[in-house]
Amino acid sequence: MAGKDSLALLERGEIPPRYQRNSGTIGIAGQIRLLQARVAVVGAGGLGGNVIELLARQGVGFIRIIDGDRFEPHNLNRQLFATHHTLGMNKALVAAARVAEVNSDVQTHAIPEMLAEHNAETLLDGMEVVVDALDSIACRLLLSQTAQKLKIPLVHAAIAGFTGQVGTILPDGPGLDKVYPTNIPSGKGIETLLGTPGPTPALAAAIQTQEVVKILTGIGQTLAGKLFYFDIGLNIYEILLL
Amino acid sequence: MRVELRLYATLRRFAPNAEGGALFVEMPEGASAADLIAKVKVDAGEVHILMVNGRSSPFVQRLAEGDRIGLFPAIGGG
Repeated sequence: MAGKDSLALLERGEIPPRYQRNSGTIGIAGQIRLLQARVAVVGAGGLGGNVIELLARQGVGFIRIIDGDRFEPHNLNRQLFATHHTLGMNKALVAAARVAEVNSDVQTHAIPEMLAEHNAETLLDGMEVVVDALDSIACRLLLSQTAQKLKIPLVHAAIAGFTGQVGTILPDGPGLDKVYPTNIPSGKGIETLLGTPGPTPALAAAIQTQEVVKILTGIGQTLAGKLFYFDIGLNIYEILLL
Repeated sequence: MRVELRLYATLRRFAPNAEGGALFVEMPEGASAADLIAKVKVDAGEVHILMVNGRSSPFVQRLAEGDRIGLFPAIGGG
């Protein structure tokens, strides 16, 4: 069990110093719930790097990190774990090493593989929440289908330019085929035109992380069946019903 | 009938004079969202999410006076 010492303190009603600033929002029961939780993050790039960092600091006890890609120079503008030192290294392995530096309560399982049809169910098995931090629409659809089949809530996000979207897909709710109803041969959206500047994934990832926290703790209202859409360039922030 | 159309992100280029990508369009009674898209000459292939009054809707959705229609391109980056 992750964070045994922290859990023991929390169960006695004491808050470990590293979680003091969490407790006003999620309380002791919420922190215990997070430390006992198992979350998979699929993709450890622009979205995933930020999500993993925030989940670790929040104290989510087990994070499975799935990414077969390696850091390249064009990742440096936005991917938190892309540094001069990590170029050429596998993203999942680098992310797990970072989590170990941030929070020793958190156990990680780094899987240096891409999610695909042959391994999707195995990779998500046993997870309580899955985070979609991918950059391919085809892979996102596979992830959504698999998560729904396994009855695991999925927190989706995608970004391009100043725009982004975040939503929660529940097992019995609308799937990502509502967001991506048309097959796109390239598997890409308008990010091929607008790029992916650093602040946009950081914003989307922060909202994604809070979705995970809300789902796990039951605190607040999730974006289940909804899509939060933002365009920072024009200060547009809308909630859409899927 | 008169409906409000909002174009998002790259779809705004189909109505470059519409401030914030929003414009009002006169449509005949019984018109569908697909008819609206054709009238304003938006490339339907670039529309991935179609919202009518904030709710995801199909292209064949019949429109009514005062409806707010939002058209979104696909966003896939991470």
